[in-house]
Amino acid sequence: MLGGLTAKHIAHAGRLGSGPALGPKTNTEMPMSSLPNQSSQTLVGAGVGIVGAVMAWGATFISSDAGYAGVGPNALPWLVSIVLMVCGAWLVWEARSGGYREMDEPSGAASGDWRAVAWVVAGVVANASLITTLGFILSCGLCFALAVRGLRMAEGKAGGGLKRSVIDLLTGVAIAAPVFWMFSKLLAINLPGLTASGWL
Amino acid sequence: MLDLWNQLMGGFATAGTPINLLWAFLGCVIGTGIGVLPGLGPAVTVAMLLPITSQVEPTASMIFFAGIYYGAMYGGSTTSILLNTPGETGTMVTALEGFKMAKSGRAGAALATAAIGSFVAGTIATVLVTLFAPVVADFAVTLGPPEYFLLMLLAFTTVSAVLGKSTLRGMTALFIGLALGLIGLDQITGQVRYTGGVPEFMDGIETVLVAVGLFAVGETLYMALYEGRSKQEINKLSSVHMTKREWKRSIPAWLRGTAIGFPFGTIPAGGSEIPTFLSYAVERKLSDHKEEFGTTGAIEGVAGPEAANNAAVTATLVPLLTLGIPTSVTAAILLSALQNYGIQAGPQLFTTSSTLVWALIASLYIGNVMLLVLNLPLVGLWVKLLKIPKPQLYAGILIFATVGVYGMRQSAFDLFLMLGLGLMGVVMRRFDFPTAPVVVGMILGPLAEAQGRNALSIGSGNWGVFVERPLSLGLLVLLAAVLVLPRLWKLRRG
Repeated sequence: MLGGLTAKHIAHAGRLGSGPALGPKTNTEMPMSSLPNQSSQTLVGAGVGIVGAVMAWGATFISSDAGYAGVGPNALPWLVSIVLMVCGAWLVWEARSGGYREMDEPSGAASGDWRAVAWVVAGVVANASLITTLGFILSCGLCFALAVRGLRMAEGKAGGGLKRSVIDLLTGVAIAAPVFWMFSKLLAINLPGLTASGWL
Repeated sequence: MLDLWNQLMGGFATAGTPINLLWAFLGCVIGTGIGVLPGLGPAVTVAMLLPITSQVEPTASMIFFAGIYYGAMYGGSTTSILLNTPGETGTMVTALEGFKMAKSGRAGAALATAAIGSFVAGTIATVLVTLFAPVVADFAVTLGPPEYFLLMLLAFTTVSAVLGKSTLRGMTALFIGLALGLIGLDQITGQVRYTGGVPEFMDGIETVLVAVGLFAVGETLYMALYEGRSKQEINKLSSVHMTKREWKRSIPAWLRGTAIGFPFGTIPAGGSEIPTFLSYAVERKLSDHKEEFGTTGAIEGVAGPEAANNAAVTATLVPLLTLGIPTSVTAAILLSALQNYGIQAGPQLFTTSSTLVWALIASLYIGNVMLLVLNLPLVGLWVKLLKIPKPQLYAGILIFATVGVYGMRQSAFDLFLMLGLGLMGVVMRRFDFPTAPVVVGMILGPLAEAQGRNALSIGSGNWGVFVERPLSLGLLVLLAAVLVLPRLWKLRRG
């Protein structure tokens, strides 16, 4: 399947270069480096289509009671799901016929640093799972320490040892604590604490 | 006229109380700060601070939010000039000439013309808002659901189809936003839609969550994934003043920029991209120093677009306050702040909440003066913010994101959802999908749906209701023109 796809890509790329066969909107300045991107572009298009399909399935559960208007609460859901399915199909078509049209080259590196981003995601997940038990300050401190480690690795530096991590954790706590106090004491906004004292 | 004057003075009386002045000042300071810092824009910042709407009274918080919106425009130009990384699309053009000027040692003059130009344009635009907004509001009272529905369609169209490069990707983004807006209770019948049995979805998805997830968390993840190794050079700051000749070249550019920016802000045509680019093109054409453009940096190329940007930003308040239609992401979030208070933005706002409206307008005059002071003599302080190392900065942003999202509903579930939207933000940025239509679609979608269905109720289910009323027919024609004309133009050009 994947092999066939690549062969087709090259055929399409050839057509793209040979003339304005794809209409006036075709971007002939498309860099060749975008070729490997096409399978991921197809994936994104397919994802949009699937969201549309799921929404269409969901729309069948919504009542069509229209009242005086002639359109009920299910009208917009149907419209949205159909448009998303069409957009998804169109995106897939664009991806497979030379790539998305009128694309800006994305900024940054050509390939992602998945190890670095995993640390950042871990930070947010840890925060979301622990905030009610650890309290805002400690949970955010932990999130900060994990995220900062990932971001440092993204810059090509070492994540750092235990000492570095302790410093990061303390930095995170030092940022989170005043924020917590300001919001919970000054603005009376409910944020979770570890203790009932309102200070931690 | 006298009536207007009295109302404005009343506004100054409200905005001038020490506590409101403090909110305005705080807003300007925070706004400038986040404008200078990469990674955060006014939209996310206002979104993150939305939880305060449960405690702070509406007038004070609107003054505060407006200060942030404004301040970010001032601060954003500093970063564009010194770092060449525009935080907001509106300051993208400033980076073109401003960065070149700074590179050839004229950073001070570029910063001065940007700040003073922003002040001039902001003040003129505020005067225009003062004069025109009440008139528009009077007129808007006569609009019915069909007209509102079409105005909102117009906003959708311009924000998604006309502004971006690819109509397809703009449309996709808009409908993703509409889909997010569908989750929860239907406004008219109370029917539950797309909750999947999850109780957290019953109240719908919070605006804060979407804005913070897409922009703040998305930006942080993108940074870790792709941009860690991108190096940046910071231009040296030189003393912030302009020579007589530079004043002479700046003043007409400011005025032209204001004249271009204001009208674009008032129509639902979305954002400040078009006017800033237009102003840049005009300045380039009219300048006596064409050789400086793109080489050593021409001061007109900073002065004009900066003024156009600020005028457009101020002018977005006209459709926001008089029609309840946001034309930029930040305006959309300001609208949801009003919704949190149960205040319906629209023509009635000028009668039902006139204190709030006039205090807000008065605070814009005050805020502009504060920002000029904050940005000209103190620019050196703000530049120090750029020294914060990137990892700590972005990790810190996550803490603030948590406050905003968790503080809104006290739900840890929302934090997971925020991460999901952050991942979506990364995909959208990588594949060049515009993000503004998502936010505008999500906030304006439910309103447009309600107006559309009300309109059809008026016509007893007859779609003719959209063509029988002269005004809605006119809007329909305009809508068609907006959709078709740019394409025809593109075809003709080749």
